[in-house]
This record gives sequence, C-alpha cells and structure tokens, in this order.
Amino acid sequence: MIAGRVHAIVAAGLENPELLARWQQEPDLLRTYGVDPAAFDLDAIWKFAGLSAKVKHNGLRAELPLTFRFLNVNGLEIEIFGAYASHKARTGTRYAPTTAERIVELVDFLRDWLDFRRREHSQLWDLIRHETALAELRKLTPSPKKCRVPHVVGEIILHEMNSDPRAIGKLLREKSFDPERVQRRVTRFCYWNAGDLDEICILELDELGFNLLSLVDGKRSLADFNRLLGGRVSKKLNSAFAELAAVGVISLG
Amino acid sequence: MKYITANSGTVAVGLAFGPIVPEFVQANPDLIDYVEIPFEQLRHTPEAGAIQETVPVILHCASMSVAGFVPPGQRTLKAIEREAERTRTPWIGEHLAFITADPIEDNDAKPTSLTYTVCPQMSEETVERVASNLASLQQHFDVPLILENSPQYFDVPGSSLSMVDFVSAVAERCGVGLLLDLTHFLISMVNTKKDPLNEIDRLPLEQVVEVHISGMNVQSGIAWDDHASPAPPVVFDLLERVVKRVRPKAVTLEYNWSPQFPESMLVKHVDRVHEIVRC
Repeated sequence: MIAGRVHAIVAAGLENPELLARWQQEPDLLRTYGVDPAAFDLDAIWKFAGLSAKVKHNGLRAELPLTFRFLNVNGLEIEIFGAYASHKARTGTRYAPTTAERIVELVDFLRDWLDFRRREHSQLWDLIRHETALAELRKLTPSPKKCRVPHVVGEIILHEMNSDPRAIGKLLREKSFDPERVQRRVTRFCYWNAGDLDEICILELDELGFNLLSLVDGKRSLADFNRLLGGRVSKKLNSAFAELAAVGVISLG
Repeated sequence: MKYITANSGTVAVGLAFGPIVPEFVQANPDLIDYVEIPFEQLRHTPEAGAIQETVPVILHCASMSVAGFVPPGQRTLKAIEREAERTRTPWIGEHLAFITADPIEDNDAKPTSLTYTVCPQMSEETVERVASNLASLQQHFDVPLILENSPQYFDVPGSSLSMVDFVSAVAERCGVGLLLDLTHFLISMVNTKKDPLNEIDRLPLEQVVEVHISGMNVQSGIAWDDHASPAPPVVFDLLERVVKRVRPKAVTLEYNWSPQFPESMLVKHVDRVHEIVRC
C-alpha cells in the first residue's frame, strides 16, 4: 500500500473523525482511494483523535484539576474526548480560542452526551459543574446592589448534584479511586463569591432554600414570594429567608 | 541569555517547557541543566523564550514532517532556522513522523495539516523518504537534526517493519542521531505486545543523543502518552538499560501537560535520572 496514500487517509480521518464513522459504516468508500479497508483500524484511529482532542484541552487543567484527574483515574479521557472530537467534526465547529469559552463548550457537550445512569458519568457531571462554578466566581467582581427587596449579596451559582463533589475530590487525592465509595444523594449547593475572589464559599442548602435562592432576582419582594408559593407558607418562607440572610448570601433590603 | 555546552562530557538533565517549569527553575536553579522548548511554542508565544535568561534551551520541533510526503513550507523552515540560531541549540529534535499529508480527494488542492505528529507507515518506502527529506532539511541548519521515535497506537497499513526495525533502518540508512523517547518506545511495545526490555537491546543505542521520559496510561484498550502523570518504573528500568550501553548527551523529563504536576515528584524524578546517568 502506497505510504503517501495511507498517510492521507489517516490524516483525513484524524482531522475529521466523522469520516472514520462513515468509513466504518461503508468500508467500500475506502476502496475508492485504492486501499484495503480491512487494513485500517478505524476504531484505534478514532481513539487517537480523542487523545489529540484531550491534549488540546490541557489549558483547562488549571481550572478543572479534579475533573481531569477524575477522567484519568476512571479511564474516561479517550472515550469522552473522542466523542467530543466527533461532535465538533459533525457540527463543523472549531474549539473556542479561550480557556473560558472551551470550558463552557465542553460543559454544554457533556450535558447532552453523558449518560447519567452511569455512576461515573453522573459523578463527572457533578464535579465539572462544581469546579466550573468555583472558577467562574473567582473571576467575577460583585457589584453592590441597593434595593428594598431580597437580593443576592455578591455573585452565586446554584447546582443540584447527585453526589457531593467535595467528597469525590477528597477521594481523588487518595492513591486509588473507587467510585463506589462516593455516596449517591441529592445535594444542593450555592457557590458564593461575596466579594473576596480568594474565598469562594460553598453553602449546602435544603430544597426550600435552594429554590428560593434560585428565584431571588433583586426584583421580587417578600410579598411576591408569598404569592408565588400560594400564600400559605409565610412563616416557613420568612424563616428560610431569615436563615439565608443570617448567612449573608442575601440581604432583605 | 544562557547557552548549553554540547560536549561538556556529562549527561545533561532537563525539562520540557510547560506551565510549572518557569517557577520550578526559579525555585531550583541548580537542579536542571536546560529546558527543551518546541519551536511551535516559540513561534506562537515568543515570550516563552524568556526562560533562556535563566536556563539554556534545547530546541524541539514537530513541524518538519520528516517521515511525510508533503514538505514543510519555506516560511516554517526559515522560522525554525531563526530559532535554532537564536537559542544556539546544540541539536534539533524532530519526530520521526508526519504532520501533513496529501488531501484524499485529488481535486482538493490543500494538504491535510494536523497539529500533532503521527506514526508513519513503517516500510522501506518511508525509510527512503526519510533519507531524502532529512538530506534536504539538514541543509537549513548548522546543528544536527536528531529523530524521535513515535508512539505506535495502531497498525499503520502497509507497514512491513516493526518499530525497532524501522528506527534501526532509518538510523542505518541516514546515520542520523536519535532522540529515544522511552515512553513512546514502551507504548509501542505494549500496543504491539512485545517485551520492551528485550526489544530495547535491538535498537542502535550508540546513535542515541537524547532521551525523553514521560508518563503513560492505558485507556480503551490502548497505551497512550501522558505528560500529566509520572513515568512508570519500567521507564527508568529502560533508561538503566540504555546507559549501560551508551551515554546520551541529555535526558529530558516531559511533564508539561498539567500545572498540578507535583513539584516533589518532579524533584524525585530528576534525582532518579541523575542517579542513573551517573552510575
């Protein structure tokens, strides 16, 4: 088989992994290039495209260290970045130029691609949102807000998780990682930057506190909240707001 | 600016340039002898070259497609020439691989250019091609080009030689110096189910100028290069095997993918290399 032709086919497949998928479905397409389809290990070439996509995301490691460690110890890097490379080829889009944009795009991809019935996928989803929230808040400078209605002090990001990513992080720092040791439970987190970029707080909330905080927009008054919740929970509502205010994450005006 | 002395007689130990290196070099000024920087990094982020104010530099390259059939552009070659002169690198390490290939459709005039190197077809045809490419490329530089073995992740169709036989054939045909990447070598042996400790002895080790060391991981049934994790012990066993036969001029640790690579581990591995090469 002529070397130049072989190189051309391998390079085309690596550059556009969608071609590899097409050749896998229709091997005879490769014959039109004068080569024997059986000689090409298309699956391994696809995985190599995954490695190169992973390497192109090394710049994200500073902000997502636990996510990358998790991918590595669970042997998910090639599978995920291979799928991501194929997705990019399919949509005809390039990787974003900045680290921040690449993180957003990767999270968007994972949201659609991950199979949340798989334990490690669910844990990965929790972990990447955890680290992304921390990274995002470290960059925001909260502006003081003046109003007479409940409003967030600083900047917050809310995530509902199926595990506690802090516990995953702790286990990842151990010599070997066993995903089964991560307790599966719904946890609700508020990542909070009150104004000090070096100190991002993580508040674990109950369901009511989480939902209230997700509705606090600096426009709705306490009365609006009461109405929203059917007007029958004012006592519970008031004490939930008082608790959030006592922590300092909201001000009641 | 600091410059490396090519024939100092001792084995120099260095690091591949990466996010942890500038700080590490500042904190440990006497621990390493040089930093290896890819030409591509200097081309796109010239400020990386400032490291040479602290430590000498060896130039690495992934742009010349030595084992390919599409030659690099003149502008790229001129730019490599300039960096070689500016850094006063004692040699230029280039991959025994291709990075550019002809388009698959004949009517598509533009070659396919990748941003990473790929193991070529390992055949007599490619050996001859490497010989002619090397003869032409070497004319551009006052310092020798040395060739780095690729990691073999899959069987390249039409290959008639094993990795060891291919590297040996290129070394013999071209008389070129080798950059022996021990992790690439190990990966190739694992993926082709060969015993690395036996196969290493079949390489023309007397032509090895520089050695590379990095991590490896196995995922989805294949062994992969991993510059974010420490080299496994067998890589150091291989280094011991190499230095029993030959003294390379330099050994480079490539831990350049992650800003979290532990400094203590880096120090430990630099010390381990010093220990082996001084034996």
